[in-house]
Amino acid sequence: MAEKTHSIIDPEAVPQEAIHHRWESWRRGIYRFRTNRMSMVGLVILIFILLVAISAPWIAPYPEAATRANPLARDQSPNETYYFGTDRIGRDIFSRVLLGTGLALRVGTTIVFMASSIGVTIGAVSGYFGGWVEELLMRFTDIFLTVPGLVLAIAFTAALGRGIDNAMIGIALVWWPGFARMTRSQVISIKEEPYVEAIYGLGGGHMRIIFRHILPNAFSPIIIKMTTDFGFAVLTAAALGFVGVGAQPPTPEWGAMINFGRDYFPERWWMSTFPGMAIWLMVFCWNLLGDGLRDVLDPRSRR
Amino acid sequence: MGAHGNPVDHSTNATMNIYIYVLRRLLLVIPVLLGLSLITFSISRLVPGDPVGLAAGPQSTPEIRERMAAEFGLDRPIPEQYINYMAGVLQLDFGRSLYTKRDVNIELQARIPATLELTLAAIIFASTIGIPLGIVSSLHQNKPPDHVSRLLTLFFVSFPSFWLAMIFQSALGVYWDITPVAGRFPRLALPPQRVTGLLSIDSLLAGDLTAFFSTLHHIALPAFVLSLGALASITRITRASMLEALNNESVRTERSIGIPWALIVMKYVLRNAFTATFTIISLEFGWLMAGAVLVEAIFGWPGLGGYIVDASLNNDFQPIMGVTLVYGVIFSTVNIITDICYGLIDPRIRFG
Repeated sequence: MAEKTHSIIDPEAVPQEAIHHRWESWRRGIYRFRTNRMSMVGLVILIFILLVAISAPWIAPYPEAATRANPLARDQSPNETYYFGTDRIGRDIFSRVLLGTGLALRVGTTIVFMASSIGVTIGAVSGYFGGWVEELLMRFTDIFLTVPGLVLAIAFTAALGRGIDNAMIGIALVWWPGFARMTRSQVISIKEEPYVEAIYGLGGGHMRIIFRHILPNAFSPIIIKMTTDFGFAVLTAAALGFVGVGAQPPTPEWGAMINFGRDYFPERWWMSTFPGMAIWLMVFCWNLLGDGLRDVLDPRSRR
Repeated sequence: MGAHGNPVDHSTNATMNIYIYVLRRLLLVIPVLLGLSLITFSISRLVPGDPVGLAAGPQSTPEIRERMAAEFGLDRPIPEQYINYMAGVLQLDFGRSLYTKRDVNIELQARIPATLELTLAAIIFASTIGIPLGIVSSLHQNKPPDHVSRLLTLFFVSFPSFWLAMIFQSALGVYWDITPVAGRFPRLALPPQRVTGLLSIDSLLAGDLTAFFSTLHHIALPAFVLSLGALASITRITRASMLEALNNESVRTERSIGIPWALIVMKYVLRNAFTATFTIISLEFGWLMAGAVLVEAIFGWPGLGGYIVDASLNNDFQPIMGVTLVYGVIFSTVNIITDICYGLIDPRIRFG
């Protein structure tokens, strides 16, 4: 008997209509996104970039150029053998740019996922519980918002030790406050809905309510922020590589490559020009994509 | 006005409220800055390797290292080190760099105005380009000018600023020789007497127009490159808030009673739209101070950015802590000033 009652009012169960509704609003969003031509262009180029990143080890003409020097081919300007020229120690820049694509995508993904998991958890907990928990967590968040992210990221990375992995951690550690603030305000508005109270009345625990019943409804702004932040995360990692605390040689990272070619600019312009254009293309496409998604989230801004 | 009692009373009350408001905001800044100092202090003790050994050099004997650690107070227990450090900070003593052996606060004094001047110039650039672009976009909503301005701002914001700075520097500075390659002021010239530390203002105060134009000449390119990063959001916010103001019912009324369109836009819409733009500009100030780190590195600008980059490459943590705290103070100040101005612009907001 007790079992039967449980199955009737199972706090786990999400009504079929709610799922339908969620799906419907996603579909409407996808439609609105598809009407935005610039974002579609961004999406198509990004898919192309992803394919390049996956196949880079096979399509790069000199895959060994990622790390190995070739003193016989130093300082060559772009030509038929080396499309983007070669660098100071004879590595093929075209191959290195291709091999750096996957790294850039991985860096962006890692930063965005780490930052959003920290930020969403902190934001959701503080928004849901309110009171002193919220006060404490939000003051903690404020600390990170009082210093420009890049400055703190440089300091964190320097403390953890130079290198691309620590740069990703350092950047993620300063990137989460935006997610925390956004999630908090989302959760605050959703937790007032009667259904949340109903689940609580049925005996749903706090953590279950937050993660299974509130956050799924706050998901689209979080995903959109992840997209709009992706390009800037890539840009920040490149900046750290350029400054010298991020990726270390011989890693084929675009920012570090620009730094490496900087001393020979503009006479040997190709060494830092092509990696810079690669960064630009990737960031630009993510921004186009994010721009379209923002309109989906907030149609008011685009009427 | 008269119906609401004594207007004098009302205004003193309002000023009192502002004072209380500012005081409360200032008090709230203290725990945040304390937290910030704790975080930077803890990460500075996380440093891999041995900063003292690094600073003393590879040939140093253990005795020399010990003496150096004692000299910089690094032989004390860590909580005591923190208390000593904070006691120093309260007297504006940020310690001494292990690497350069120079007092951090002397460097800070020289570098803070340089960064502020660059950031302010960039904000001015970004607003003078971004606000008109946003207005034009909103008046031609979803028509070609709107699309073009949107695409242009996204185009520019996606550039790595350090890369763009490098290219502009060699094109305009080296190749065409239009702008100085690096620095804030001609190397051999005597800078104006220091009053504010902002060279452009100081040279004006000294009545030295040559120096004034020289500083503008030096700052133009770095500030322009830096401003590109803020362009997109200033344009976007101006556009969005203009649209909101344009769709206000009052605009329809004003049009229907025959007020010229240009007058409506200039007199009513712009004013209503400006508060949001103002907020984003002050937020951008912070973003640009971060971007300045990279632009300073390229243009040899003697500001905070170059300082923190050098320090972090040398594992030199005293300057890093000092610079982060200074950024925190500047940021909090800008935020408070923004909120006060916000209340002054928008009479609906009350302090209290």
